[in-house]
Amino acid sequence: MAERGGERGGERGGDRGGFGRGFGRGGRGDRGGRRGGRRGQRQEEEKWVPVTKLGRLVQEKKFATIEEIYLHSLPVKEHQIVEALVPGLKDEVMKITPVQKQTRAGQRTRFKAFVVVGDGNGHVGLGVKCAKEVATAIRGAIILAKLSIVPVRRGYWGNKIGQPHTVPCKVTGKCGSVTVRMVPAPRGSGIVAARVPKKVLQFAGIEDVFTSSRGSTKTLGNFVKATFDCLMKTYGFLTPEFWRETKFSKTPYQEFTDLLAKPTKGLMLEAPIETVEA
Amino acid sequence: MAEEVHLGLPGPWAADYREKADHYTTKIGGVPDWPTGDMGIKPEMLQCSLCGTKLCLVAQVYAPVVKLNIEERIIYVLVCPTPECGPKPQSWKVLRVQKCRNVEQTEGDGDELGQGTGPPSTSVPEEQIDKNKSHDINDDDFDLDALAEALEQAATLASNSKKKNKSKCANAPIERPVLKEKPADLSIPVLPCFYIYYDKEQYRVKVAVGSSSNEFPLDKEMTDTGNYEEEKWDGEKYEYDKAIGADRTFLKFKKRLDAYPEQCFRYSYGGKPLLAATKVQDAGTCRFCGSPRQYELQLMSPLLYFLHEAGKGSSNYGPSNWTWLTLIVYTCSKSCCPSSCGGRPCGCCWGVAEEEITIQEDEAV
Repeated sequence: MAERGGERGGERGGDRGGFGRGFGRGGRGDRGGRRGGRRGQRQEEEKWVPVTKLGRLVQEKKFATIEEIYLHSLPVKEHQIVEALVPGLKDEVMKITPVQKQTRAGQRTRFKAFVVVGDGNGHVGLGVKCAKEVATAIRGAIILAKLSIVPVRRGYWGNKIGQPHTVPCKVTGKCGSVTVRMVPAPRGSGIVAARVPKKVLQFAGIEDVFTSSRGSTKTLGNFVKATFDCLMKTYGFLTPEFWRETKFSKTPYQEFTDLLAKPTKGLMLEAPIETVEA
Repeated sequence: MAEEVHLGLPGPWAADYREKADHYTTKIGGVPDWPTGDMGIKPEMLQCSLCGTKLCLVAQVYAPVVKLNIEERIIYVLVCPTPECGPKPQSWKVLRVQKCRNVEQTEGDGDELGQGTGPPSTSVPEEQIDKNKSHDINDDDFDLDALAEALEQAATLASNSKKKNKSKCANAPIERPVLKEKPADLSIPVLPCFYIYYDKEQYRVKVAVGSSSNEFPLDKEMTDTGNYEEEKWDGEKYEYDKAIGADRTFLKFKKRLDAYPEQCFRYSYGGKPLLAATKVQDAGTCRFCGSPRQYELQLMSPLLYFLHEAGKGSSNYGPSNWTWLTLIVYTCSKSCCPSSCGGRPCGCCWGVAEEEITIQEDEAV
């Protein structure tokens, strides 16, 4: 699992291995392997007390996959929901950059962390967080990335054999001045993109794609957000498969309310006890 | 801006949901403990304004105000238990019960200051003196001592099993309850009951631990990773937190909740509430004295979670339909005396005032 906590601060002296984990990284990614072993030390992990109604339903295991949440467009407000529903979520810190603000007492430096999370199979999220400390920024960015997980639609370039491997159609995403265009590619092409968006696409589970970008891609923050925006749009594109009229089903709130309203056991409220003396 | 916020954290469950405590106990659910048997509350105050069902108690908070020298003051949060009414804001009621102050200390109930031997003081807001009442015990008291013993034992036993019980355990009914020989009113619906212990919120806005001098060497390493010199990541500026489903206000709310994930309510007399959504209603003015209302306490979602967990499996259960994130209670800023005793030095009349409560809903529902 990908959750990280404050205990990193204590280990930082010894772990010079950076925070990166996940696949496809230049350094063969074995730094991630060591990370997994340390997680057992975290004893004080508290039980999740859900805050929202959706959180309560997820904790009661009323949802099998996160797709049911996407189907009804329910806003996900707790990152634990995503952790519970999407197994195999990996995260990687793409960049930590200092941002500065000029104050009367000099410059105030804060750190901005970009984190991408994904399971490599159609779900990806991007989180950006600024904080005064690196560890706080990373932790916050991971949480925000999990809150922003979106489904990614994959399709075929030509023959529909095997599993979908590329984007279903040409899509384009924009952020700031950067536009990123993704074009379906035949199997075996691999991800043809710059290093930074390539990472996002790998986490999304896209195997082959041609990309083309425009604008000031030097602003990599915008570049990675444009790629993410592009991935969000894959399910927004209307193709003939979706021409059939939608059959609306009950939202989980209604469905489970009715379930609870059915009399299954005795009433919680106690009626006055009337004893009839014979 | 260092306001003290006291958090109500869950203590032990009550052995019986209908057990009586005294009006100095802070608890969730159960039967309301009125200070005197005959409060003179108008029956419609205890009925739902929408459907007329009798209201049940959600929270009873002993809330003295030291600054105004008011020690006998309790806040009761009531709700209609029917599932249809629960989500609607009109089915919630907040009552503030307060003893009216007199200039001279009357001797009628002078024993209320008597300390006696009692359990050590609990950490209650505004450092109230733990009262071990010896007054108001009628002559015909049945086995009060045994009852108190049994309850105390049950409370300490249950609390010892709870983790992290730093502050003294719950305001369990260790003090001898007031006996008025009133039969238990079984027609009042009741929610699962548990007691509350207090803790001060230690929210560190500036985290000094893990000094930032450690950050720099690591940061350099991050910037040099992979020898990708042509990636500059230029032009980054500070960005506010943003997520697809949650806005900045909610993210801040969740962050403070995560610091103490079990907080059932937050108490801060005259402080600022922790909002879950930016839209906030005007609190209005007090009905009795016309002074503006101010924030006093707010109930939080973990309370709803605990009630929901306790009532699982039973149908027709009110809390299963509730979807609020937080309930904010506003009370009169002068904490005026709401009784109509005409200023006579009676020292025994309790006044009941209805205060304002606003719901912040989980708007996804």
